[in-house]
Amino acid sequence: MELTIRQAAIVKKLCWTLALSVVAVPFLFPFLWMISSAFKNANEIFGQPSLIPDVWRWRNFVEVFEYQPFARQYFNSIYIAVLVTGLTLILSSLAGYALARMRFAGAGLLMLFLLSALMVPEEVTIVPNFFLMKWLGAMDTHIPLVLLPVFGPHGVMATFLMRQYFVSLPKELEEAGKMDGLSRLGVWWKIALPMSRPALAAVAIITFLFSWNLFLEPLVFLSSIENFTLPLALSNFTDPYGSPLWHLQLAATSLAVVPILIVYLIAQRQIIESFAMSGVKG
Amino acid sequence: MSSLKLRNVTKTFGKTKVIHGIDLDVLEGEFVVFVGPSGCGKSTLLRMIAGLEDISGGELWIGGRQVNEVQAARRGVAMVFQSYALYPHLTVRQNMGFGLKVRKEKPDSIARKVDEAAMTLQLEKLLDRYPRELSGGQRQRVAIGRAIVGDPKVFLFDEPLSNLDAELRVHMRAEIASLHRRLENTMIYVTHDQIEAMTLADRIVVLRDGRIEQVGNPKELYAHPDNIFVAQFIGSPKMNICSADAFAPELTRAGIPMEGVAQIGLRPEHLRIVPDGGLIKGQVALSEYTGGGSLLHVEMEGAGRFLVLSEGQEGPQPGDEVQLDFDTANLHRFDAEGRSLQAAREPVPA
Amino acid sequence: MTGHVRTGTTAPRAPWLTLRRREMFEGWLFVSPTLIGFLIFFLGPLIAIVIYSLSEWNLLSQQMTYIGTANYQDALTQNPDFWHVIRNSVIFAAGLVPLNMTLALALALALCRPGRGVVFFRTAFFAPVVTSAVAWAIVWKFLLQGEAGAVNQMLATVGINGPNWLREPDWAMVAVIATRVLKMVGLNMILYIAALQSIPRDYEDAARLEGAGNWQIFRMVTWPLLAPSTLIIMVITTIGSFKVFDHIYLMTGGGPENGTLVLAFYIYEQAFEFFNVGYASALAMIMFAIVLVLALVQIMLRQKGSA
Repeated sequence: MELTIRQAAIVKKLCWTLALSVVAVPFLFPFLWMISSAFKNANEIFGQPSLIPDVWRWRNFVEVFEYQPFARQYFNSIYIAVLVTGLTLILSSLAGYALARMRFAGAGLLMLFLLSALMVPEEVTIVPNFFLMKWLGAMDTHIPLVLLPVFGPHGVMATFLMRQYFVSLPKELEEAGKMDGLSRLGVWWKIALPMSRPALAAVAIITFLFSWNLFLEPLVFLSSIENFTLPLALSNFTDPYGSPLWHLQLAATSLAVVPILIVYLIAQRQIIESFAMSGVKG
Repeated sequence: MSSLKLRNVTKTFGKTKVIHGIDLDVLEGEFVVFVGPSGCGKSTLLRMIAGLEDISGGELWIGGRQVNEVQAARRGVAMVFQSYALYPHLTVRQNMGFGLKVRKEKPDSIARKVDEAAMTLQLEKLLDRYPRELSGGQRQRVAIGRAIVGDPKVFLFDEPLSNLDAELRVHMRAEIASLHRRLENTMIYVTHDQIEAMTLADRIVVLRDGRIEQVGNPKELYAHPDNIFVAQFIGSPKMNICSADAFAPELTRAGIPMEGVAQIGLRPEHLRIVPDGGLIKGQVALSEYTGGGSLLHVEMEGAGRFLVLSEGQEGPQPGDEVQLDFDTANLHRFDAEGRSLQAAREPVPA
Repeated sequence: MTGHVRTGTTAPRAPWLTLRRREMFEGWLFVSPTLIGFLIFFLGPLIAIVIYSLSEWNLLSQQMTYIGTANYQDALTQNPDFWHVIRNSVIFAAGLVPLNMTLALALALALCRPGRGVVFFRTAFFAPVVTSAVAWAIVWKFLLQGEAGAVNQMLATVGINGPNWLREPDWAMVAVIATRVLKMVGLNMILYIAALQSIPRDYEDAARLEGAGNWQIFRMVTWPLLAPSTLIIMVITTIGSFKVFDHIYLMTGGGPENGTLVLAFYIYEQAFEFFNVGYASALAMIMFAIVLVLALVQIMLRQKGSA
């Protein structure tokens, strides 16, 4: 039997969907398995694999908070990420604005200078920064976790993202602001920033996630358990011999990941666009 | 007294000089138009007056005060931008009142001034809309309204009509003219469109390559251009220019002194087609019907093509030999440097 | 015309704070927080690490002794671990980059046109990117355990006896590469989708009118037009693969038998577990050199692309 063009198109579409669904399994399965295992007890976790737990063990989530100061650690992650995001937004849009709009001697050199930062991984500068923080007495505090992301390659990337966006905006509005009597700071705050919401949102999103997911810096700088941030805390659910307590670890990981995932599902378009805008992060 | 004064004003970008020593006096209440081809520096000059570009050399005076180093907002000028530059996140009312708010005026005084300006420009019904909800002409009026509200000493317009379609442009041009008659403020207006310049200006400043070519009222510029550039820039279709040699014998015979004349110019509208006895002659190469008449492209022997405006429905056809006549007073003579050799120039009333 | 007003005598002297100076001053003021932070937390450390790498640190006496290039010589000629680590890093990159990019391009081609289901799949493939690397590594470590892991249990149901993924050096490398690809491929997919969407539809339509099939259109039209994006994505991905740390740290800890010991992890280990600061600094400089070369290649490609 010959298929009409329309029928052929439907069959083709079905095949594609099926193929993509198969590929999607290893992307989605870990999330489902993580959440389902978070409700299992220590024995069932290694029993017959099943997505639905036999007994829903809500106690796991209570034990997570008993095992270590998880609420405190959660709060640490939130406040650090908010602080890093806020500071990055202000500093990167200030510097980005100057680099986009103001003519000052040395601006070109400064750009080159900052660009070079994009090429140096955090892994390279962390050793001297360790000693710097030690000297500053900032070990086992959250200071390095705020300062290093803000002033490191990520902050520079945010500055350039803002600069690119400001360059693309029409100049005349800012000039009108100037004619209306705004100072430079006023033009930046009242005109340039309100017009840059998409770029600011992009910087905010990738910066928040960057800070939220940071691992190397907390690992190097933090030692007290109540100062831990989430990524560090997650890796810390172990028995006295260092083996992972899977049911707790997965329950804690679920607690850390699910809120982010929910926000992601709601704002997926905006979040994906933000990453596309920044081009290079993750 | 003069409202605005430029003394040897220059501008350099890096090593390139874009404005070469401009001297100009603008009277109180005068409507002055800067006109010239793109890249002539007219917008740069306007932006220097506004305070959006710094002044590399010379002096700028506004209202008896030197303002070279005075910030834009404190110069007592207001600007209407080409793209209108209305703040997209503010309503019309907020847009118009923004400058006053920045200057910390009282809310009731701001409201009064905004209402007043809105009435002048018939914007009352649009006050609570956002710029995106307005048509091009309405945005233009809001942009003008924003300038009016601050009661500036000098209004600056940077090609304000170039984003409008042809019909609206004519309409807004008339509105700006009547606004000037009502407000009687000093206005400086930049355009590349010589018709806009001619219709609006009390005085026109023709600029080329960062230099003033000529300053004068529209009739002066039309009747007595100082040089070939101005002669061809003002008037449409543009003036025919050819080497003087082509018609030297005929012109000398007609009693026109041709000594030192290198080139001559004749405006298309000053050439008449006559059955015979014309001073010069040529062959019609192309005839463009324009409704009221025809625009003829006439091949002149040894002088290239002339444009001729012929009135009436029945004009000569391509291939026809035509004789052309003109009033000798309308002949423009230029020397080898392109400067006008106009005999004693009688002042033309503005 | 107006009578000339004498300007020379009434003109005020130009103030020191000219508009130009003010703009310059404000410009530097705007960038100063970023600049100062950059100098302290970035440029300073960068200089410091050069010095460290030429020194020997004694942590007990807190003394730094200049020892020239001994640390570099140690790495390049003495310490067998170093070349083993480089080999691992290269294998990791050589496995990850092609896999990641091929998959990213395939997904991008499938998902670059709007349609039903596209949003769902895009969201699904990108989800691991917003998830923390730590969470991703923990879950996969859990799934990839020997007999008890979900992956092997599922393989068993179809009769395959899966390896003990993270306990055998070669399989461990395969596992960390595959799971890292799953984590990061969404990002490249998005970059590819953006690149594909910026190609005007006309080219494809023109080729189709000339009778080209899907594969021919891809080979002759899409792929060449994607070349600049492909090069840039490749460099970004390669740099990223040399920087990978948390993923390895959590999944294998560099093991088994140092089978997944890669450069970033090795630096961390030397610096913060064995406190060989000088040696670790020399390693960091080598890593910097590798990334710098890759980044310069990227800049050159980008300039060529824009020219």
